[in-house]
Amino acid sequence: MALASSVAPPAGPAIPRTGAISHPWVRFGARRVGRLVVSLWVLVTASFLMIHLIPGDPVRAALGPTAPARLVSAKRAEMGLDDPLLVQYWHYVQHLFSGDLGTSLVSQLPVSQVVSQRLPATLGLALLAFLLAVVVAVPLGVATGVLTRRGHGRRTELVFTTTSVVLGIVPDFLVGVGLVYVFGVNLGWLPVAGNDTPSAYVLPVLSLAIGPAAILARIIRIEMVTVLEADFVRTARAKRLSKPRVYLGHALPNALTASLTLGGLILSAMVAGTVLVENVFAWPGLGSTIVSSILNKDYQVVQAIVIVYGAGVLLVNTLVDVALALLDPRSMIRED
Amino acid sequence: MRRWTRVLRTPLGLTATVLTLGVVMLAVLGPILWTDEANAVDTGNILAGPSADHWAGTDNLGRDILYRTLVATRLSVELALAATAIAVVVGLVLGTAAFLLGRRLGRLVSAVINIAVAFPGILLALFFAVVFGVGATGAVLAIGLAGAPAFGRLVQTLVAGVAARDYVSAARVAGVGRTRILLRHVLPNISEPLVVNATIGAGGALLSFAGLSFLGLGVQQPKYDWGRLLFDGIGSIYVNAAAALAPGAAVLVAGLAFNLFGESVAKALGVGVVAGIRVPDTRRPVAADDAPVGADLGDHDADVVLDVRDLEVTFPAPGGPLRAVRGISFTVGRGEAVGIVGESGSGKSLTALAVSRLVDEDGSVTASRLELLGKDLRGPDNATQRRMLGTSLAMVFQDPMTSFNPTKRVGRQLAEVGTTHLGMSRGQAMERAVERLDAVRIADAADRVHRYPHEFSGGMRQRAMIGMGLMGTPALIVADEPTTALDVTVQQQVLDLLAAIRAADDVALVLISHDVTVVGEVCDRVLVMYAGRIVEELPATELATGARHPYTRALVAAVPDMATDLDAPLATIPGRPVDPADVPPGCAYAARCPLADARCRTDDPPLVATTSGRVACWHAGEPLPDPVLRADSARFETLVETS
Amino acid sequence: MNRPTELRFQDVTVCYGRTTAVDGVSLTVPAGQVVGLVGESGSGKSTLARAAVGLAPLAGGAITLGGAPVPTRGRNRPLQMVFQDPYSSLDPRMTIGESVAEAMPPGASRAERRAEVARLLELVHLDPTHARVLPGRLSGGQRQRVALARALAGRPAVVIADEITSALDVSIQGAVLNLVRELQRELGLSILFISHNLAVVRYVATHVAVMRGGRIVEEGPTDRVLADPGHDYTRELLAAVPGRNTP
Repeated sequence: MALASSVAPPAGPAIPRTGAISHPWVRFGARRVGRLVVSLWVLVTASFLMIHLIPGDPVRAALGPTAPARLVSAKRAEMGLDDPLLVQYWHYVQHLFSGDLGTSLVSQLPVSQVVSQRLPATLGLALLAFLLAVVVAVPLGVATGVLTRRGHGRRTELVFTTTSVVLGIVPDFLVGVGLVYVFGVNLGWLPVAGNDTPSAYVLPVLSLAIGPAAILARIIRIEMVTVLEADFVRTARAKRLSKPRVYLGHALPNALTASLTLGGLILSAMVAGTVLVENVFAWPGLGSTIVSSILNKDYQVVQAIVIVYGAGVLLVNTLVDVALALLDPRSMIRED
Repeated sequence: MRRWTRVLRTPLGLTATVLTLGVVMLAVLGPILWTDEANAVDTGNILAGPSADHWAGTDNLGRDILYRTLVATRLSVELALAATAIAVVVGLVLGTAAFLLGRRLGRLVSAVINIAVAFPGILLALFFAVVFGVGATGAVLAIGLAGAPAFGRLVQTLVAGVAARDYVSAARVAGVGRTRILLRHVLPNISEPLVVNATIGAGGALLSFAGLSFLGLGVQQPKYDWGRLLFDGIGSIYVNAAAALAPGAAVLVAGLAFNLFGESVAKALGVGVVAGIRVPDTRRPVAADDAPVGADLGDHDADVVLDVRDLEVTFPAPGGPLRAVRGISFTVGRGEAVGIVGESGSGKSLTALAVSRLVDEDGSVTASRLELLGKDLRGPDNATQRRMLGTSLAMVFQDPMTSFNPTKRVGRQLAEVGTTHLGMSRGQAMERAVERLDAVRIADAADRVHRYPHEFSGGMRQRAMIGMGLMGTPALIVADEPTTALDVTVQQQVLDLLAAIRAADDVALVLISHDVTVVGEVCDRVLVMYAGRIVEELPATELATGARHPYTRALVAAVPDMATDLDAPLATIPGRPVDPADVPPGCAYAARCPLADARCRTDDPPLVATTSGRVACWHAGEPLPDPVLRADSARFETLVETS
Repeated sequence: MNRPTELRFQDVTVCYGRTTAVDGVSLTVPAGQVVGLVGESGSGKSTLARAAVGLAPLAGGAITLGGAPVPTRGRNRPLQMVFQDPYSSLDPRMTIGESVAEAMPPGASRAERRAEVARLLELVHLDPTHARVLPGRLSGGQRQRVALARALAGRPAVVIADEITSALDVSIQGAVLNLVRELQRELGLSILFISHNLAVVRYVATHVAVMRGGRIVEEGPTDRVLADPGHDYTRELLAAVPGRNTP
């Protein structure tokens, strides 16, 4: 089709040349890494300060009121608790970088050993729960979203929303208690303590995953319904694309990117949920350790585990941000 | 106030409200009624299972679990409310700090909140539990401070939203101080979401408390809350499960109650103002069209691209069916440009959507004839119809910023038409996409085709939309307000492009706009719509001088152009456009028309033929009274009625 | 009400982050005159307005009123503004009487304030008994009138109208424009009238300045600029206006 050449080509915004394409990514990467480093530093500092904010003498509190004063002061000197705060801080950070996390006041073992022994159990639990939640929530949310788009499936929406709201509110440890009662005490089908056998994973993973899965499915459904009202979906329909194409090819990617931020928060909360779930199921992981350490005032262990959990959460957040940037090219630009 | 009672109307809201009230009452009355029973030790009856005397059995000191659970309500609720109060107050301080402190310090506070918010509540709670120590007071502080960052973030977002509104800017321009603005403008406008979130937060605090106490870090003996009871009970779950299930159920019910109450209030308040006006049934006999337009009915004329007869679009609405388009008929010939002009509520956009079969599924579209190139469009949405519409009809929508999928490259979105409807391969379709982008005068088309929509300007996006419509060989372009969102110079380019396309390939155009001068410039014929009906059809050249309907003339007179008389006031149309849900009997324009008489208010004028078109008016062509007098009658206008 | 003073922008520069929105703009609004400022999106015209009332920081140059710098703090503000979006310009929780009264200079008794609010509402052709009404019950055109009344409450010397009719229906636009002309005549106000619509600017303004990319490309008496534009961009704008183009 030949168009009249009287229409002059108007100038548009200048396109950056090929070499500059890497720039948004470089800037984005620098910002993310920067933010991660700052957050990690805040985490480490907070963890350090945690002990020093406690009123009273932590060593005395740990060793008990009957311990001889000489032992207490010897321990204090060993832990460097009489040095000025900044010196202690410097030592702390130094030791952290070299992998020395201190010694457990209770078991006399190096904390790094305690952590490395317990980390795999927690990691396994968290990862499995994460996978379960995503695998269940995404298809469920998408399918329900399509079924309940504007004006459709009122009843489905009611059932879905009620179920997901209730399941989302019930805290993981209560789910755990309930599951323990039903499957452990009553039916005796599944083990409720320890992680010796594969079947021991079932109940803890379920407890940890059910709530987040419900919330995630709910978020995805809402985003899907919202996206289906968007102008570009109307454009896709105007192009007379088939329904599956419109829903899965056009609406879904946008619904997922919209859900990603909140979804990321849910998933990082799941990491911390292991603390409670492990205590329900006597799971030999970091969660049960941190609680017993707090009760025993074994603060160096607490410090280390706080850092491990915090770092884990920050890592999840960073991965979510990267995924978001990969899926939605605008999110990189928006921050400039 | 009335809106809060709407909460009670939904079953969920009612249940939640009743439950919440129940919990609160239990908290108040529990210890008063049952403290003795809860503390009664019976060492002969330790860890007994449920029985007639003790419905939930006894604990390790023989105390009745059910009574203890009931009495524990007060402490559990009190602690939760205290923690929520701390979270809300600290959150408010943090969140409003950014607004009060100015840019630099505000950004610092913002950064602190962002870092804190990244950590889940339980981690923060554990951190503070270590600092403040184990026990109820420590736990309250811990959970309160753990919830503060999230609240702070919420408050900050809400405050920023309000601060961006023009009325805050106006107050600043008037010299009102920041603190006063915060108190008078910002806080009242964020109070509703804040209260709702605080309620939901109270539910969360309750559950968090239960969690902390369950871990042994919260309430310590001899005091007990639900979490503590759970902690005691889980150890003996194999002996007496009820010892754990009773407090567990209590936590569940109370937590659910608070959360659901908050959620249903949120829903009730968030819902837009529902027009509680009862709408009378607007189904009246449609005025017969005495003048069939264009070719004979029942005969397909090869030169007719679009043939519409008796088109109606109806939506379901709370007050009865809403007839947005009430029976219109028109044709579009090959290569012709027909403009549809009207204000909000005229039904012009819906006409465009109905003709393109894009009306949402909840609306019903009926017509005695709806044909594109002789093919009936009223059939089901099957592959054949989709292919025909996808290649012969091109749509251009109003907002170029949102009409493209932001996560896909532009080239792919154009190529989709080729691969879906034209049987092209990916490569062929992309080539054609490049060629089309070039045809709509987008510079560097071969490079642009790999770009994302946000890298295009508004005008370029609109041209890319047109290019997408040109992937096939359309016989008709339907453009719904294509240039409204564009600058006037860009608008010129887009309109020139449309003209060039029409000239090159004899493509017909239906242009919908509220701007009568644009329509007058671009189109051959103009249809004027009001309240879902066509009130006049005339050639564009006669718009300024030969319009017969008072509305058309008023519309033309009301728009200032470069030749408007500077010494006279601008013509205005008193009143406002008709609400489609509330169309009065008779001529819909009568309320605003200077020529209206009693007949106009009772009888709907039919659309009759004139020498150059059609018009629906009992006083078509009669001279209008002096506009100067009419301008002053716009003085004390009536208010909009809301529920 | 009459404080005949001249609003002058001298080499004003405003930056938002890395972008320069206004680049060395000099413009004068003579006392008692209406000056139109025309530009498309991204021209910087709104930014210039916001800088004048203190809502955007100046990176360079000066804005003076009658020779003295425009006060951007305190209650005495001789420069007021009316905004574009009628649905965002009034606090939904304050009655329109309260919104108007808020902009009045402090120190009047309650009865005096009530009387003044009634007077202002009458001035913009609104029923004074509507002072107790919440904005939700007003139409777009009515809200713009309230915004005008509020701007006048501060007894300003100069009013900046930033695209005040762009968001209104065509049939209502005329009423607001008529009102602007009427108020200007009656009160002798100086007005900086910002719009992207040349035809509207022609109707209200005696002087016009054309802005593009943060700079003023042309200015002068309206009839001269529109009949015989000196700059290419002005010509482009004129050619793009739909409808009758020759006065």
